Amino acid sequence: MRSKLTVPKLMTGMYMAIVMLHVAIPCSFAQQPGNKSFKLLYDNEPFKINCLFKTGEGYIYAGTTNGLYSFDGINFKKINFTNTVIKDTVTAIFQDKGKVLWVGFKSGHIAKKVKGRLEYVEMEEGNPKAAITSFIQDKQNNIWFATNGEGIYYFAKNHLYLINTENGVSDLHVRTLALTSNGDVLAATDQGINICRLVNGKATVNIIGPKNGLPDYYVTTITPAGNNTYWIGMQEKGFCLYNHSSGKITIPASGLSWNYGQVNDLLVSQKNLWIATEENGLLKQSDINTPAEVFNSVSAIQNKINNLLQDNEGNIWMVTATELIAITGNKLKLLPVYSPGVFETIHATLCDYQNNIWISTNAAVIKYNWENGSYTEKKYSFPTLNSKTDITSLYQDINHTIWVGTMGKGILLLNPETGQSRSLSENSLLQNASILAITGRGNTVCAGGLEGVAMIFNITEKNKNITEKYRFTNYNDIENVGNNYIYSIYKDSRGRIWFGTDGKGITVLDNGKLTTYNKTNGLRDDHIYSFTEDKKGNIWFNTEGAGIYCFNGKTFKNYTDADGISDLKITALKTGPLGNIILVNKKGLDILNPERGSISYINNKQGIGDVNADMGSVTQDTAGNIVLSTIKGIIIYTPVENAVDRPKTIIENVQLFLTDVEKNVKGFFKYDQNSFQFYYTGLYYTSPDEVRYQYKLDGLDTGWILTRDRNVTFPKLQPGTYKFHIRSSLNENFTNTDEATYEFVIEKPVWKRIWFITSFIAVLLALVYGYIKRREKQLKKVQQLQQEKIQFEFQVLRNQVNPHFLFNSFNTLISYIEEDPAMAVDYVEKLSAFFRNIVNYRDQDVITLKEEIGVLKTYFYLQQKRHGKNLALNISVSEEEKKLIFIPPLTLQLLIENAIKHNAVSKETPLEITIDLQNKNRLVIKNNINPKITREPGTGTGLQNIIKRYSLLSSEPVIVNNDDVYFTVILPILHKLN
Amino acid sequence: MPVIKQMLQKPIILFCLLVLFSSNVSAPPMLYAVSSGSITFRSDAPLELIKASSNELKGIFNADKKQFAFTMNVNSFKGFNSPLQQEHFNENYLESNKYPRASFEGKIIEDMDLKKNGVYSIRAKGNLTLHGITQERIIKCELSIRNNVVSIKSNFTVLLADHNITIPKVVHEKLASEIKVEVKADMIEK
Repeated sequence: MRSKLTVPKLMTGMYMAIVMLHVAIPCSFAQQPGNKSFKLLYDNEPFKINCLFKTGEGYIYAGTTNGLYSFDGINFKKINFTNTVIKDTVTAIFQDKGKVLWVGFKSGHIAKKVKGRLEYVEMEEGNPKAAITSFIQDKQNNIWFATNGEGIYYFAKNHLYLINTENGVSDLHVRTLALTSNGDVLAATDQGINICRLVNGKATVNIIGPKNGLPDYYVTTITPAGNNTYWIGMQEKGFCLYNHSSGKITIPASGLSWNYGQVNDLLVSQKNLWIATEENGLLKQSDINTPAEVFNSVSAIQNKINNLLQDNEGNIWMVTATELIAITGNKLKLLPVYSPGVFETIHATLCDYQNNIWISTNAAVIKYNWENGSYTEKKYSFPTLNSKTDITSLYQDINHTIWVGTMGKGILLLNPETGQSRSLSENSLLQNASILAITGRGNTVCAGGLEGVAMIFNITEKNKNITEKYRFTNYNDIENVGNNYIYSIYKDSRGRIWFGTDGKGITVLDNGKLTTYNKTNGLRDDHIYSFTEDKKGNIWFNTEGAGIYCFNGKTFKNYTDADGISDLKITALKTGPLGNIILVNKKGLDILNPERGSISYINNKQGIGDVNADMGSVTQDTAGNIVLSTIKGIIIYTPVENAVDRPKTIIENVQLFLTDVEKNVKGFFKYDQNSFQFYYTGLYYTSPDEVRYQYKLDGLDTGWILTRDRNVTFPKLQPGTYKFHIRSSLNENFTNTDEATYEFVIEKPVWKRIWFITSFIAVLLALVYGYIKRREKQLKKVQQLQQEKIQFEFQVLRNQVNPHFLFNSFNTLISYIEEDPAMAVDYVEKLSAFFRNIVNYRDQDVITLKEEIGVLKTYFYLQQKRHGKNLALNISVSEEEKKLIFIPPLTLQLLIENAIKHNAVSKETPLEITIDLQNKNRLVIKNNINPKITREPGTGTGLQNIIKRYSLLSSEPVIVNNDDVYFTVILPILHKLN
Repeated sequence: MPVIKQMLQKPIILFCLLVLFSSNVSAPPMLYAVSSGSITFRSDAPLELIKASSNELKGIFNADKKQFAFTMNVNSFKGFNSPLQQEHFNENYLESNKYPRASFEGKIIEDMDLKKNGVYSIRAKGNLTLHGITQERIIKCELSIRNNVVSIKSNFTVLLADHNITIPKVVHEKLASEIKVEVKADMIEK
């Protein structure tokens, strides 16, 4: 955008003063009322536009020596390369069916526009080294392009193919390409037209040259003309029409003696052919049989014109040596037939059945007639009128008699052929009547005015002689009509007569029945000026101050300034040739589209101004085009068929943190990609600066926001689904405007997404569940431990109250009582202590090793008294460790008991039991094995019980080893649980 | 450099040298023939990479008219993954018994002088014949001329469909629809 600088200038058409009467003016006649001109500057130096292109949505692109520019009617915006180092001269622009923009360069490179930037297309075959001049896309969607020096290339199946002299191309310098209706490609070369056709992947070329009737072998341009015919522009011989179906070449009358030099471009617009020439500016050809009209209203377009383009609104754009110029084309024609002094006196205009234009002036009417590009004027004076008499209305009836309505002098009749005139004196009321409007349809003429003039005349063949009396009806006896001023009387297509009154509303006469509509029917203003009927039969009328109404037979629809009417002081209301309702005001025209209710404007932006505000000063030609008088002259407005009459809304860029994103597809963004900027245009080349916008962001805003800005920023959007709407209008009325949208989604951050939250909760639940399960298991374990303990206790108790143990103990005791009573007492004490310990430790899960060894020692004492030295117990655990190590109560006691129980203890086979601590983590209880001959029945529950208890208290297992020499039990060490 | 000095001092000798060199430069016709050339192709199919090359490239180049013709024997491709692959290549795909030769002949598009030493990026438009089907193609190549030796280096792709080379459905995954070809050749004056 470095070089963005435009110079819009409004050039107004020149006008000529006509002073002579009935004299031919030897000058071509039609002019353009307003032109716009733009210059492209870079460092204050203008640079050249090589080509113009209009995209499918109507956007204009300009290819220049400084690269590619888009043009919105106000600014040129440079389209940069992704690789900003590249600088290349653009020589061709094209948009394919997939809306991809292709750009051809002088260097022979081809680029595509991707995400708002240009990127060279890399081809395996390399790129041409000659300038690209033109593109087309054929019916198989292959892209073709022409070069200035290497012939014609086409892309097919990802490969590039060349059609050159070896294929029969007559010249390698190809100016332009055109696709025919049957899929052939026409190429304009320095040596005739080359018709290229692909058959089974092979190119065939046929040449049309002077032999086939082409006037000039040097072809410069080809423009489709419809029905498989093409306008051919040539270097020397002007232009001709080539019919591709028949091969016939038609040379127009102006082509026979062409002296305007090289044709650079051709454009078909509104049945006219516009011709851009190398040396003689712009020409217009409206009829193939007449000479071309030179179009030289702007000095800048008198010489070289390179390109022609019609925008979607019907304006014609052209490139001159230094400028880009827009003209209104055929839309507006200025006929500068009178001087401003005459304009002051005009109160009525008329376009007669031969499209001559009549104006009223002081006590006279003037007829302007043109033939062969020049015009004559003829003045008809009325001796009965004095110079102060205003002529208010002009009307031509079916007999071509011209009716002249005056203020105070009634109606005058004029035979335009003979110049004969008379005063219409059939009714005394007309003698000094003031006529406000004369209208008519078919054989009916209606005249309305002051003092109750409301007359309907019935015209017959006889009235061709204007002296013949007219038959008429005067409606001055009708209430609301007869006692009021009548601004206008209108006969519609169904024969109804509408009376517009000054303050009494509308009265309609339908089949002899009269109906009046006024404020009681909802009209806001009862001063009715004029009527028109649209193509659907609705009656439209304008009021003094409440805008216009459309009446469909049942209801009235009101249009006011809120709907976009630029001026409520409406001079006249007409139905244009394309069905639009045209409102004339002092500044120009408001053009109402009755389908949509939208309004577009023709005003000083297009060079119209100072429009005559008299009711009778607006008329229509035979085609229905609007004819009005302005201070510059007569202006004829011809609506352009299929022209766009509202801004086309385009989202140009969507930016995320100032970087373009793809705008044609729905966007998906992360939670932190949340600052968006939208650039948009309401494309309306006719008056781009009048465009205003409304935008809305679904998901954020609730309503439309009005702006004149061309971009809007939404920073820090929350995650959500959004739809950006933008619409543009020429006024504050945005109903039925063109709207563009962009949808996008900002994703929630991972931790806010449903799946994440669900899985998070699931994991949480699983954890809680796991915890509960574990705890349950633990509780079960504790319960089990309890049970085991009880069982163990029971076992121990059972063992100790085992009659065997008691019997043995008592036997030992008896022997002591006799031999050593003191020892007996000691023995009983020990026995008692042993039982007490069992009872004491019963409830505890674990006790210290010290306590356990205490119990064990008591028990061992009891046993040793029986077995004497044959039984030995060696404990090698330090006192310190005894305090630190824990053990389930009575474990050791049980193991020792088992050892004694299962082994023979005698002098020959002593039993030695050792308890020691290995590696500080295992308690090893070991005894030698001397199996008893008679085995004491053992259930093995004791040892099983120990193993179970340990499995609940420790992760380490209890190891039991029997190698027939030693019986070993290894207990894992327990430390304090809590 | 007394010799040159001496020569310069003697205009006649200098003149003779000039004539000799200039006549050498414009000596017609500038015909070159391939002295050594290789052609390699590879097919990057989803399932299998097929790669083979041949050194039996023949061809001539007329630098004056910028015309050329290259040809090779399809049977001479070697270096396949397996003998079976080679057999398939020759019998099923290229039918080299029926169409033994592949060729490319045509003309250089660029309008430039190719008689001087230098490296040129040029494009050749010509007819590529393979599997009995001739297809007009543009092939980009790097051409370097140095002391009457012309070296050519080029990469291009061949669409199987263009040359009617049909692939059975079974081996569809084994052969890409496009084959990459690399050509290298040194040419010397004939």
